[in-house]
Parts: sequence; structure tokens; C-alpha cells
Amino acid sequence: MILGILEQGLIYGILALGLLITYRILDFPDLTVDSSFPLGAAVSAVLTLKGMPPALTLFCGMVAGALAGLVTGFIHVKCKVRDLLSGIITMTALYSVNLRIAGKANVPIFGTETLFRNSFTKALPDWIADYSTLILILLITLIAKLLLDLFLKTKAGYLLRAAGDNASVVTTLAKDQGSVKIIGLMIANALVALAGAVMCQQQRFFDISMGTGTMVIGLASVIIGTNLFKNMTFMKSTTMALIGSILYKACVSLAISMGLEATDMKLITAVLFLLILVAGQAKRKKVRIHA
Amino acid sequence: MKKLTAMILSLMMLLALASPALADDMINIGIIQFAEHGSLDNCREGFIEGLAEEGFIEGQNVTFNLQNAQTDMAIASQIASVLVPKSDMICAIATPAAQAAFNYAQDEEVPVIYTAITDPVGAALANADGTNPGQITGTSDLLAVEAQLKMIRALMPDAKKIGILYVTSETNNTLPLNMYNELAPVYGFEIVAKGISAGADIPLALDSLLPQVDCLSNLTDNTVVSYLAMVLEMAGEAGKPVFGSEIEQVKLGCVAAEGLEYLELGRQTGRMAAKVLKGEAKASEIPFELITNSYLYVNKTAMAQFGIELPADLADRANDVTPQ
Amino acid sequence: MLEFQSISKVYNPGTVHETLLFQDFSLSIEDHSFVTVVGSNGSGKTSMLNILCGTIPVESGKILIGGQDITKMKEFKRYRRMGRVYQDPAKGTCPTMTILENLSMADNKGKPYGLTRGTNKARIQDYKDMLAPLGLGLEDKLGIPVGNLSGGQRQTLALLMATMTPIDFLILDEHTAALDPKTAEIVMELTNKIVREKNLTTLMVTHNLRHAVEYGDRLLMMHQGQIVLDKGGEEKKQTKVDDLLSIFNSISIECGN
Repeated sequence: MILGILEQGLIYGILALGLLITYRILDFPDLTVDSSFPLGAAVSAVLTLKGMPPALTLFCGMVAGALAGLVTGFIHVKCKVRDLLSGIITMTALYSVNLRIAGKANVPIFGTETLFRNSFTKALPDWIADYSTLILILLITLIAKLLLDLFLKTKAGYLLRAAGDNASVVTTLAKDQGSVKIIGLMIANALVALAGAVMCQQQRFFDISMGTGTMVIGLASVIIGTNLFKNMTFMKSTTMALIGSILYKACVSLAISMGLEATDMKLITAVLFLLILVAGQAKRKKVRIHA
Repeated sequence: MKKLTAMILSLMMLLALASPALADDMINIGIIQFAEHGSLDNCREGFIEGLAEEGFIEGQNVTFNLQNAQTDMAIASQIASVLVPKSDMICAIATPAAQAAFNYAQDEEVPVIYTAITDPVGAALANADGTNPGQITGTSDLLAVEAQLKMIRALMPDAKKIGILYVTSETNNTLPLNMYNELAPVYGFEIVAKGISAGADIPLALDSLLPQVDCLSNLTDNTVVSYLAMVLEMAGEAGKPVFGSEIEQVKLGCVAAEGLEYLELGRQTGRMAAKVLKGEAKASEIPFELITNSYLYVNKTAMAQFGIELPADLADRANDVTPQ
Repeated sequence: MLEFQSISKVYNPGTVHETLLFQDFSLSIEDHSFVTVVGSNGSGKTSMLNILCGTIPVESGKILIGGQDITKMKEFKRYRRMGRVYQDPAKGTCPTMTILENLSMADNKGKPYGLTRGTNKARIQDYKDMLAPLGLGLEDKLGIPVGNLSGGQRQTLALLMATMTPIDFLILDEHTAALDPKTAEIVMELTNKIVREKNLTTLMVTHNLRHAVEYGDRLLMMHQGQIVLDKGGEEKKQTKVDDLLSIFNSISIECGN
């Protein structure tokens, strides 16, 4: 069970990294994620069936996600549509796009080699085979996290953080804040789509409805993580988001084990959400309750 | 301090999760149901009854751990990750539940018995040749399309076109729709299918569909079924009868249906599960089963409304479910 | 030479709130001059700066810099040659980023913001040397987020950031107005020093009449979208705060308040 929590928590942790960018850094309530998550999954599933190496499908999923972010950013920046609405527009459009890409509402990939089940993993000795999926997920998640950490320390990363922090600074630095926002949305949605693609490889099917509630899960992870550990200044916010995601999944698992019904799950999530927000109220300035 | 409490709490949570399920002589069966839904509930009840018929009685030698994912994919997957390791068998109701269960059960060799899956082959839960891809088998609720077409022909001898309204995102619609298109010419029908993306599109879709057709026939499409009252009202105003796909729809006002008995489907599934539990066969060795005999349900009030007569040869096997 | 040529600006055109701010407004500013601008609220001082920076568009007229028409140029592009400090100390810095990160970012203005390391370690000592003479102790706080600093500290930092890289114009929009008197003096002194050292063409809007008189080499007073007073050279040196006040009062009486 711990294994399941860690696997799921780390996969959704990639999603949390994406939301960290939009919600925490850019302060942009991006609803695109509810569709870019299944977008990554759809691309990965379809390409896997076409015979592309699964690892490569993750990359293609990311590219698709980045394009989704580009569309949202374009609608917001160039067409001057409000942030929330731009996300909703892209999310709605992507639903159809996802169905077109996948061809049908549910695409199983049980029959083919996947990232986590292939001739290589089957050849592994037993003691490691149980953990191979987790190790691989951990590896992908850590690479994503480290790259994001590195990026946030670059000049471009500084500009991205500035765009969310105080957009007028970006302008006075003679940079177009609109472009910076668009790039941020692209990176964020690329990460979200990567999470979707990894999820698809792990659960071995794509389903059109798998994106429902993605935004809430990611947001809950980010908020749990950043609020619980906010006084630990040495800890990076990306680390907080990952731990937040694992804790969130642990809570859901616990609720399931205790026999709580999924009917009540949303209510429990909401209460948990509220508790953590209230507990961490003290010094929050930036976090607005958009979600 | 608060932070510390929070950390201790989360630690305790993890520990609680780590403790293994209580070991006893009971057979633990995890039931993963994808959605709360009349037919699916019937499947579950039938499954439990079917097992009981074979001597696996709840509380005596079997414990059921029932989890409903409420149509949430992420939760379905997580339920599977929690239930599979502590169950001796998984019963999965509806396609995404079965896929999630099989994903976690495949390596653990925990048998998965599914039910209410329209197209096990399309969902990759069965191979195209009818064999199983692992310790998994079950029952399909594929519609009795041929029986339905035959029945419509008998009730409406002059009808030419049948309208079908369906949501494009529901994977269970694909196979029956193909069957309708394939079999309709045999009975002299033409199918006019109208895909929609959400329930809210139904009024507009019906406005354009109804004038083109002589009657409507429903799939087991969850969305369309949820909006059935509206569909019936609009079709009624246009003077076009609606044929259902299961008993509940006929009760609500559809003229007739060649439907499956989900309770029966569940029982059949339960008996398959019993075979596996008794060790008579491995799940991988039992091919998935279809329910072949459908039941004819009729609604006399609705028939009278459209001036439809029940032919004598159908009358003796028809179940009148007209609400009193 | 910076020129406003026959600018007209209408707020809320086509609505009942339509107000004409500028009509045929023209102004030339010599290179390397330090111009102070005073005027009552609504006189068009800040709007003039916003028009110059491209924050708000104009209905007609032209803005020229060294003969080049920049009227249609995007706001962010204009800042390649300009620095700007706002009235609100929070507006010129990024609160969740550290002092070092803020400075590094400003230091890179005019160069590409690519995937190279955001902070150039070799420059850290330079930043410290730049901060130390201010006596605010900022040189020892490079690692703390700017949001933790006082308004005066932030404004000082904003001023440094705006002038770190080579620019031609410095736009100061009541940049001492939100500070306490003592800090305002420090920031004003620093401003003057930087402007003189770098020989920047400066437009400073202020409500502090003493600052307007003491600093700079040309003084403008605006009222209802027009320049009602324009003193340079010797004339400016002889102008006293009291003179400005009496003009202010006479304008107010004209308007009937």
C-alpha cells in the first residue's frame, strides 16, 4: 500500500510541480490542467500503441502539454481574456482534441510494452522487480524537480518568478511580461502533461475522464506542502509540493482503508484543504483563493 | 508546534497505512464499483447472491470490502492500489474499475472478476481470440442489439429509420453502435446516430434528429439515460416512440426494451467467481461470458400512446412493467 | 532631445465619464537635463509620464526621442532606454525574491534572459560595494526576500535597480511620496547623486515643493493638462518654495476652490 501511495504521490507530484508554477509563481488559476493531464495520457497511449518507445511518448506528451499552455497563454495575453476564463476555454476545447487524438474515450495499453512493464523490467530479479516501477517514477519525478529547480535559478527563471511576483518589474526590465507568462504556462502544462503520460503508462490505459479534478488534486498538494513546511526556509518549494502530493495521496488511501466512501471523498478533501489553509493563514500574502 | 502536530499526524497516517490487513480465515473480496448507478448496484447485489448460492456467504466465510469510485479515475486507481494487496479476489464493476484493478492485480496474481463491461476486448481485458490476458475474467453486458432490432421490427412494421442519441465520450457506446449499424439493414432499418458531448446538448440534438426518424432506440449511455425524462417528453411531442435498453427505462416510459437483467448478470458473475475460489478453474482459464438471453419489457401506457400493438408471438414472453 | 508633440489624451472616450486631459500638449526636454514637475492632483503629471513610457496610449500627437518617433512603440521596449521608479515602493521590486536575485535580474537588463545562471557570483562584491555606502545595512542582507524590507529600503533598491544598467532616461513618479521625511531625504540625495554621476535625462514628478526647487535644473508646474510654469537656468535657481505656493493658491482660486 505504501508502494501504491508513493507511486501515485510521485506521479501526481509532477503535476504539483506544474501547478506550483501557475498557482504559486505566476499566480494564475490555470484550469487548462484538467485537460492537459489527459492530453499527455492520450498522446502517450496512442503513440505507445503505434510502437513508439514509451519513454519517447512521455516527451511527446510534454510537447503537447506545452502547446496547450501556449494556447491558454495566447488567449490570455493576446486576446486579453481573463486568466480563469482562458484556462476554461482551452480546457473545454482540449476535451474534444483529446477524444480526437485518442480516437475513443478509453484506450487500454495492457497488450503492449509500457514504460514500467517491458522485457527489461521482466528480466529484473524479484527483489527489485517489485520496486522497479517506483524507482523509475522516482527517477522521472526527481529529474523533473531538479530541472525545474535549476531553471528557477537561471535568468529566465528569475524573470518567470518576477512575472508572478511583480509584473511591472518585468516591463521596466524591457521584457514583455506577456511572453514570460506564456512561457510559464507552457512549462507548467508540459509538466502536467508529463504527469498524465506517466500516469497512463503506470495504469496502462487512457480514459477521457481521467482529468476530472486534476486541478484540485494538484492544488491541494501544493497547498498542503507549502503550508506544512513553510517555516522550513531551507526547503525548496518544489520539494514541498512533492511531499504535499504524497501526503495528499496518503490521506486518500487512509480514507479508503478506513472504509470511507468515495461519495464523501470530495467533502473530506475540502475539509482537509480548509484546515491546512486556516492552519497556515498567518503570513500568506500571495495565495488567493481562486480555486 | 502546529507544524510538529501536523508532521506527527502525517507520520501516524503513514504508519496506519503500513499496518497489514488483519489475517484470518475469511476470504477477502474487494469490490470496486466505478459509479453509483442502478444497473451497477444490481450487478453487485447479483454477484454477492451468486457467490452465496455456491456457499460463499458474507460474514461466514467471505468478507466483502466495497469501494465506489464515484466516477473518479484517480480514486479508482487508488482504490485498486489499496484493495488489491489485501484481497484474495477483486470484483470490478464497469470498465475503468476493471482496468485499474487489473493493472495492480496482474503482477500479484490476484484474480479479477469483472462485470458490466460492454466490450472486454476493446478494453484490453480480454484478447481478441476470447482468451484472457491474465488472471482475469468476467461477464459482459453487451446489449442484445439483434433482439432489439427484431422487436422494433415486430412492433413497428413500417418503420424505416431508427435514431440513436449517444455521448461520444462514453466508451461503452462504440461497440453496440457498430452492431446497430451492421445489423440494421438485415431488418430493413437505417440508423441515424447523433453524437453529443454533454447532456445539455440533448434538446438541440433531438430537435434535429426527431424529424428524420421513425423512432428512437437507447444505448446504455449513462448521460442519455440520465436525461431520459426530457428525451421521452420531446419524442412524445413529436409522436415518435422511444425504445429502451433495460427495464428501468421502460418503467420510466419507453415503449419496450430487449434488456439485460443486471441482477442475473451479477449472479452469473458470482458463480464464475465461486469456480475460481473453489479452485475448479483459474480465472485465466475461464473465457468471459456474455448474457445471451434478453428479456422483453413493455410499457402498455406508452404503447397505447403511440398506437402500438403487441404481436401475439411476443405477448407471451413480454414482461409488463407499466407503472400502476 | 525628448519631445511631446501636440499630444491629446481623452479618458473614457464615448462615455459619460469622458474627460479631456491633454489637448495639443507639447513639451521638449533637452538631453541630460534634470526636470522637476509639480502640480495639483489630476493636473496630468503622472499621465504625462505614463504616456512617455507607453503605459497609456494617446489619441493623437507624437512622442519623439532624439528625433525617433516612439508613439507606437510597446511599453516594454521603451524601457530599454529608460528606468522608472514608482511612488509605491512595492512596485519596483519583487517581494518574494531576495535582494541578490532582484539586483542580479536588474543587472542583466538589456541582455538576453536565457538559461544561464541567474546570479553572476563575480558581481556579488560589486553589489555589496554599491549598497554599503547607503548605510542601510543592505549589503549584509543579500539573501533575504525584499518583501521583508522597509519601504525606504525597498525604494532605494528600486532606484538602484532602475539605474544599474546604462540608460538615457530616468522617470521618477513621486518616488519619495510614500516615505517618511528622513528616508525621503536620503533617497532624494541618492537620486541626485546618481542622476549627476550618470548624466541622465530625468523627469521627476513630486509633491514636495522643496525638492522641486532644490533639485534639478528646470522646473515645470502643470495644471489641467497644461504647463503653467516653466523655469530653467538662473530663473529656476531664484525660485523659492513660497513663489510656487502662491502660484498654486492663485490657480486654486481661479478654479473656484
